[in-house]
Amino acid sequence: MNKLEIDWTRCDGHGLCAGLMPDDVLLDEWGFPVLRGREITAGELPDARRAILACPALALRLSSR
Amino acid sequence: MTTIERERHRVIGEARLLAGLDQDLQQHLLTHGPLPELTREDYVQLCEAVGLRGRGGAAFPVAVKLQDLPARGVEAVVVNGSESEPASRKDRLLLTRAPHLVLDGAVGLAHALRAPHVLIAVHDTAAATSLREALMERDDQLAIEVRDTPGRFVAGEARAVLSALEGGTAVPPGRRVLPTRRGYHRRPTFLSNVETFAQLAVLARLGSRGFSSTGLISEPGTQLLTIDGAVQRPGVIETPTGVPLNTVLQYAGAEPGPVLLGGYHGRWLPRTDGVMLQRPEVSAGIILALGSGTCPLGEVTRVAEWLRSQSAGQCGPCVFGLASLVDDFARLTIGDPQGWHDAHRHLGLVPGRGACAHPDGVARFLTSALEVFDDDVQLHLSGQGCGRPVLGVLGGAR
Repeated sequence: MNKLEIDWTRCDGHGLCAGLMPDDVLLDEWGFPVLRGREITAGELPDARRAILACPALALRLSSR
Repeated sequence: MTTIERERHRVIGEARLLAGLDQDLQQHLLTHGPLPELTREDYVQLCEAVGLRGRGGAAFPVAVKLQDLPARGVEAVVVNGSESEPASRKDRLLLTRAPHLVLDGAVGLAHALRAPHVLIAVHDTAAATSLREALMERDDQLAIEVRDTPGRFVAGEARAVLSALEGGTAVPPGRRVLPTRRGYHRRPTFLSNVETFAQLAVLARLGSRGFSSTGLISEPGTQLLTIDGAVQRPGVIETPTGVPLNTVLQYAGAEPGPVLLGGYHGRWLPRTDGVMLQRPEVSAGIILALGSGTCPLGEVTRVAEWLRSQSAGQCGPCVFGLASLVDDFARLTIGDPQGWHDAHRHLGLVPGRGACAHPDGVARFLTSALEVFDDDVQLHLSGQGCGRPVLGVLGGAR
């Protein structure tokens, strides 16, 4: 039950998440992420963790709800 | 005594919250009777029995909020009196003219929850003065503080109010946490709107049966509404819940024309017939009548510009999205079809992408405007415009 989550007060639209997880994150016309909102499967977790660590603004998170 | 500008008010049906205005403590107790000492379980049962919902706009069930608090260790009861919706007057009316009722609600609940603090966040001097004068008459055996908080639109959001009370900036934090779990100083906190506390003070006295003698079966009691715009008698009205919108419009002497329900984050109504005023649709109780002499798109664009200026500027999609939407609507109003297309695309990009519900509220307001004013949109896109001036009946940016 993992989903990507963005802290919008931190996100500055660097866009690394969209590069690392193109199936889950798109960028809007201003460069901010648009989440597909689907579950992150166990197999995708390593990629998701990499994207979270890569975020320069520490804005990307994994929520387990 | 300072002269406070008297808020205009009226009552349809039975006056409860507005039963005893401008009274000192003794007169207040004669009007309403003494406040019974109730337990936390009593409050939960009462709120559940009458389906009481918060009156700040989100209409969250009060019983659920109470039950979400831990059994012990509640830090504070917070009265959100920031009333940051510019058209709303109801909370200011209660704070300036019925402060004892609001204090009864907050103090009664704080005792029941064994919370050591009551904090009241306000942002105008008349409300603060009225509360402080009322507090001097009372002996509540609690630490009660009246605090001035900033007046920006998003500063009224619950978590922004908590941040301001803690001495931080009055902006919503990035993490979605519930005040009932992590509120004032990250401790469990019960926070609600001014009117909610006044309703609790009435409910504690009347009991669920007495409280339910008027209004809807699903949500009995009364409600405070603020009506403004193209009306002869603007001001606050207390009505039973579920009163027909047309009754209120007639009572206030509203010009025929479109109606915005729920304030600047609300929805334009396609028609007023058959609309009953209840939560969640009525939100914080704001009814704005547009009349027929003004350009609807011009009015909407002015409000959108004001809403854009009220963004806290924290979240990209809100900053860029609202600016783009204002531009889209301005272009649409002068007949640019690309403005119409861009507005529709941007309205899909804004909701759900911020730390608070400001972008969602703005998108709701603008989406309903495009639907309800479609005939005007077509007139403007045809290049001739609607031929009406922008009178500014809704307020918004000058």
